[in-house]
Amino acid sequence: MKYLMFVTAILGCLHLSAQEQGAEWRAPSNSSKAYGTYRNKLTVPPYGLARVTALIGKIPYAEDDSSPMSNKDYMSLSLREKFTYHMIHMEINAQNCDVRPPIQDEDKKIFGMMADGFSESVWSDRQVKFMISNRDSVMALIKESTDRSKRMGANYKMAIVEINGRELIPYIIEVYNRDKKDRDLLTLLMLLMKNNEYRPFMESQSFRKLYGADANYQSYIDYNKANEDLIIKRATDYYNTVRK
Amino acid sequence: MSGFLTYCLQRFTPVLLLLAGVNAVNGQSQRFVHVAAGDYSLGRKGYINNPLRTVHTNGFDIAATELTNADFEKFVQATGYVTDAERRKNALVFIPGLREFRWLEDSTAFWRYPNGITRGGIADKMDHPVTTISYRDAIAYCDWAGVRLPTLDEWEIASRAGAPTTYFWGNEMTPLSSYANVWKGRDHLQADSTDGYMYTSPVASFKPNPWGMYDVYGNVFEYCEGRLPTDKAGSRVVHARGGSWWCSKNACSFFNSVDIGSVKRGASFSNLGFRVVKK
Repeated sequence: MKYLMFVTAILGCLHLSAQEQGAEWRAPSNSSKAYGTYRNKLTVPPYGLARVTALIGKIPYAEDDSSPMSNKDYMSLSLREKFTYHMIHMEINAQNCDVRPPIQDEDKKIFGMMADGFSESVWSDRQVKFMISNRDSVMALIKESTDRSKRMGANYKMAIVEINGRELIPYIIEVYNRDKKDRDLLTLLMLLMKNNEYRPFMESQSFRKLYGADANYQSYIDYNKANEDLIIKRATDYYNTVRK
Repeated sequence: MSGFLTYCLQRFTPVLLLLAGVNAVNGQSQRFVHVAAGDYSLGRKGYINNPLRTVHTNGFDIAATELTNADFEKFVQATGYVTDAERRKNALVFIPGLREFRWLEDSTAFWRYPNGITRGGIADKMDHPVTTISYRDAIAYCDWAGVRLPTLDEWEIASRAGAPTTYFWGNEMTPLSSYANVWKGRDHLQADSTDGYMYTSPVASFKPNPWGMYDVYGNVFEYCEGRLPTDKAGSRVVHARGGSWWCSKNACSFFNSVDIGSVKRGASFSNLGFRVVKK
C-alpha cells in the first residue's frame, strides 16, 4: 500500500512537471514592447488644452480615484474643449482586471480588441452621452486632429467604437494605409463590423477566432498581407452596404 | 534527481505542516491557515508582472476565507466607520446587460447594498464576502482588527499550495467550477447563475485548495500589498488577485495564481474584497 502511494505521488509530480513545461512563456522582444507602447498612446487634442488641463488639475482625489470635473466647470467648456476633456480624462474607475499584462510578439498580431491606453479609468455615462449626442462633431474633430498629428491615438479609436462611427471606415483605411503601422486600426474596422453584425464577417473564420465562444481579450490573428487585405476588403464591402 | 527531491519536499512538506496549522484566532470569526517558513517558487517564466523566482517567507497565517459582511459589520458597528463609497457616492455596480468591462455608476451602492439599493441588501448574505469597499476601507478594517493584508507574494504562496502551475491543480482551466464562483456566460449581456450564484457566494461554498483556503480563485478579487515591476514611478494604484464572480474565461480570466490586477485605491466595485493575514 505504501509502495502504491509512493508511486502515485511520483506520477503526480511528473504529471505536474509536464504541465509546467506546457506553460512556457518568453519575454516580449524589444520590438514587441515598443509596439505595445505605440498602440497604447493617446492623441492629445489641441482644442483649449491649457484651460482643460488646468480644470482637470482642480479635480480632487485625482491620484486615488478617477473622478469627474465639477458640473460647473464642465458646463463652462465649449464643445471643442469638452472633446479635449473627454479624450484626455476618463471620469470613472476601471475594474481590477482591466489592465492587460504584456504580450509576446505584439507587433506580429492583429488583436480582436484594441489597446485602451487609459489603464485604470473608463468613460462615464456623461462622457459617452456627450460623444453620442455630438457624434458628427466628434468624428470631424477626430479627423481634423488625426490629420494634424499624423496618427490616430487609442482614445480616438475607442471613441469611434463608442459612437459607432462606421461613416469613418474609408478614413480609417486611409489612415492605416499611410504607414501600415497601427494594426489596431484593422481591429477598429473589425469591431465596427462586429458591432453592426455584418453577416459576412460574423460568419468568417476570423470572427470565430477573435470573438467566438473561446475567444478572450488577447485573441488575435496573425499580421500578414492576406489578413490585412481581407479585413480592408470586408470593411469596404460593409461600408458600401451602409453608405447613403 | 536533487531537483526532483527539492520539488517533492516543496510540494508536500507544507501540506504536512498545514495539518497542525489551521487554527482560529481569538475575537475573529475567520479560521487561519498557517503557511510554513521556507522558499517558494512564484511567478511564470518571462512574465513581466510576475516573473519566475524563488521567494523566502518566515511563515505567516492567512485567513482561510475572504472577510465576510458579518466581519465587516462588527467593525462598522464598533467604530462608526464610513466607507469611501458612502462618502463619495462613486461605487460601480453590475447588472446583466452591460457590455464587457462596463460597470454602472450607482450613488446608492456601498457594502450594505453592494449593487445598489434597488438590487437588494446583504441581510441574508452576512456570510458572503464584503464588497463595494475600497482598498482604503480594507486597510481601515485591518488597522481596527489588528491584522493586515497579504503581500502579493504571500497571497500567491498560499494560493498555489506548493504547485508551480497556473492553478493550484495544474495548467488546465477545466476543474475551475469545483473551486470557484466565476462567470460562465460568453459575455455579460445575460445573467449567469449556472454555478448557483450570479454575484458573490457564501464564503467556502466551493472546494478549498490543498492547504484549506477557500475561494482563492473567484468570488471576489482580494486586495494585496505590494507593487509590480510595471507600476509607474509614483503610481498609487493598488493590486488585487484571484479573479471574481464577474470574471469569465472570455473576459478577465484572472482566476489563477499568476495574474495580478491593478485598480485605483479609492475604487469600490462589487467584485472587490479581501482576506487578512495575522500580524
